[in-house]
Amino acid sequence: MSHVTTQPDAARPAPSERGRPPRRQGRSRQVRRNTLVGWSFILPNFVGFALFTLVPVTAAFVLAFMEWNSFGSPEWVGLDNFRRMLGDENFRVALFNTFFYAGGHIPLTLVAALTLAIVLNRKIRGVQFFRTAAFFPYITSLVAVAVVWNMMFNPTLGPVNQILETLGMANPPGWTASTDWAMPAVIITSVWRDMGYYMVLYLAGLQTIPEEYYEAARVDGANAWQRFWHVTLPGLRPVTFFVVVMLTIQSFKILDLIVVMTDGGPGRSTLVLAQLIYREGIREGRFGYSSAIALVLFFIVLTVTVFQFRLNERRKA
Amino acid sequence: MRRKLAMGVHRRGAIGAALALALAVTACGGDEGGDGDSASAGDGDVTLSVSVWNMDTTPEFRAMFDAFEEANPNITIQPVDILADDYDDKLTAMLAGGDKTDVLTMKNVIGYSRYANRGQLMDISDLVGSTDTSDLAGLDAYDIDGSYYAMPYRQDFWLLYYNKGMFDAAGLDYPENITWDEYVQLAEQLTSGEGGEKVYGTYHHTWRSVIQAISAAQTGGDQLGGDYSFFADQYEMALGVQDSGFALDFGTAVAQQADYRNMFETEATAMMPMGTWYISGVLAAAANGDTDVDWGIAPMPQRPDSSEVVTFGSPTAFAVNENAEHADAAKMFVEFAASEEGAKAIAEVGVVPALQNSAITDAYFALDGMPEDDLSRTAFEPDVVELEMPVSETTSDIDTILNEEHQLIMVGDKSIEDGIATMGDRVDSEVR
Repeated sequence: MSHVTTQPDAARPAPSERGRPPRRQGRSRQVRRNTLVGWSFILPNFVGFALFTLVPVTAAFVLAFMEWNSFGSPEWVGLDNFRRMLGDENFRVALFNTFFYAGGHIPLTLVAALTLAIVLNRKIRGVQFFRTAAFFPYITSLVAVAVVWNMMFNPTLGPVNQILETLGMANPPGWTASTDWAMPAVIITSVWRDMGYYMVLYLAGLQTIPEEYYEAARVDGANAWQRFWHVTLPGLRPVTFFVVVMLTIQSFKILDLIVVMTDGGPGRSTLVLAQLIYREGIREGRFGYSSAIALVLFFIVLTVTVFQFRLNERRKA
Repeated sequence: MRRKLAMGVHRRGAIGAALALALAVTACGGDEGGDGDSASAGDGDVTLSVSVWNMDTTPEFRAMFDAFEEANPNITIQPVDILADDYDDKLTAMLAGGDKTDVLTMKNVIGYSRYANRGQLMDISDLVGSTDTSDLAGLDAYDIDGSYYAMPYRQDFWLLYYNKGMFDAAGLDYPENITWDEYVQLAEQLTSGEGGEKVYGTYHHTWRSVIQAISAAQTGGDQLGGDYSFFADQYEMALGVQDSGFALDFGTAVAQQADYRNMFETEATAMMPMGTWYISGVLAAAANGDTDVDWGIAPMPQRPDSSEVVTFGSPTAFAVNENAEHADAAKMFVEFAASEEGAKAIAEVGVVPALQNSAITDAYFALDGMPEDDLSRTAFEPDVVELEMPVSETTSDIDTILNEEHQLIMVGDKSIEDGIATMGDRVDSEVR
């Protein structure tokens, strides 16, 4: 503390140094002081970041090569955790399910959001109402969404199957009670929940496409489909890129919806990586193995995202 | 000092402000620490912290704490309330962080074995040795290589709840000493109605224990063993009942997250195998006017060759944290909870204490709203109560596997033979 209060005096050049060109000395002090001030501005944020993000993330990386049950001291085991992963059927099941979920969730949400945005970009009566309605699922509590959809998917009494039966389907799917249909049920629910949010992004994107392009296309005799394909879609490319990246990350870290809706069941049919990480770490106390799985998940997401960035750059060029 | 800083130029003022803030923050932290210390020390008065779940809806904790505080006026109990569903996850995280909560409630034996094997619980073998434990049910479950790290205060076991009104209306005798075959017949006779109005003969909740633990108890099978052929009869019974429509099917029960309380209290089912903890639940629901179901309890149905009433159950216990701040007071509490005084305190709120003798059973059946027939009293005294799930280091992993395969059998995704075979294969390959 006192160190700081004496700083003004220290900053003043000492009498013996008067003869030298004062500017350089003063300047470097000035620079140092500015740097210090700069640091002091980011310090509170950085401390928080370091304490709650940097250290835990680094620790997770290191833990992946250790065996640790949350008490006692961690033991270095090298690549054991990764070797174990190769032979772990739970990991294979979870990996497959995670890709299954992402493979359904990403394209379906994209198409649903884009369709909604295009439909709701017209000047129709009550468009504000419909836009709000479409956004509503996104701000609804996830637990409520999961519980209500679970009821809708009820294989015998649920409205979904009752409608399917009225439409003439003799054996409607068992949804969350069936190993084949549980994941599709989760995907449908998540698409329903997320499409409103991405619709808003697409709506914003649609505003940026100049009306003149459409007029020019019309003059050239382009029909509605051609206008969509050659004007709207290219115009939306930056938004689409952002949406795909966000959806990818969101899909690979899926946990909450599945925990509430199926808890990984029936059997392991909806067990995903994030849930396996939670189960191995928190429930079984195998933090090393759990960190190793987390590391693998991280690299999967990283690879996919980097690939998407590359693809985007190439298309831009 | 602050004035000096404030007088400085603006730029330095920024540093000063940041430092002042830092000072203020650390000062606050310091104060808090001081308060905490002075509250827990003091002249003989002890604040004992106890981890509990759903304090509001679990009256046994309040009853036990009040009785203990009355017996020990210098000790105040500070409950650490945790959501029941997250209890073990939360406790694991707390203990990993070096938490100092004095007494830890062991919600189930699986959790107990985990904490004890990790060295997070204090060895209280001396306390167990110096207590008369001959009437204390469920103590064996806490024996780990001859040492005890917890002492049970509560012992729940499974019996058959039934709706007397429905039995009367159908002209059937109450289910006294029945076999599983007779149980299936009753379920058929008691099923009526269609659609939303349908009344089922029985209800099997979605837990694996409903099928697996009872067959292990009644056949002597080992749930950690790897050969699960002893589950087959029970699965055949359950799937038969479900496929014939005498019980709500598993898939529907999972999809609508069926609440067994609702099933019984809204009279959607005539029978229901369930644990004794539900006695206090149904008593409370009746007292609040939420249900007017006329109910009774009967012993669990048995295998045809059985001469005794065999069921399964699981004790609940208190343990002392290895890092406890007040270990002595914590041990006093654990001992009190397992004593007759503690047992009476919780029996009065409808909870089945681990300590069992006729005085306590009398106190229990004196509760308002308890069925008074002889059958219910018989049900309350089964001959053998096997542990729901044996305790070992592999318990938790095997539990996960058995549960996953249970779901697959019950939703009809796997045949009983396939499911049972997969259980064995997975236990062999995944659990080391």
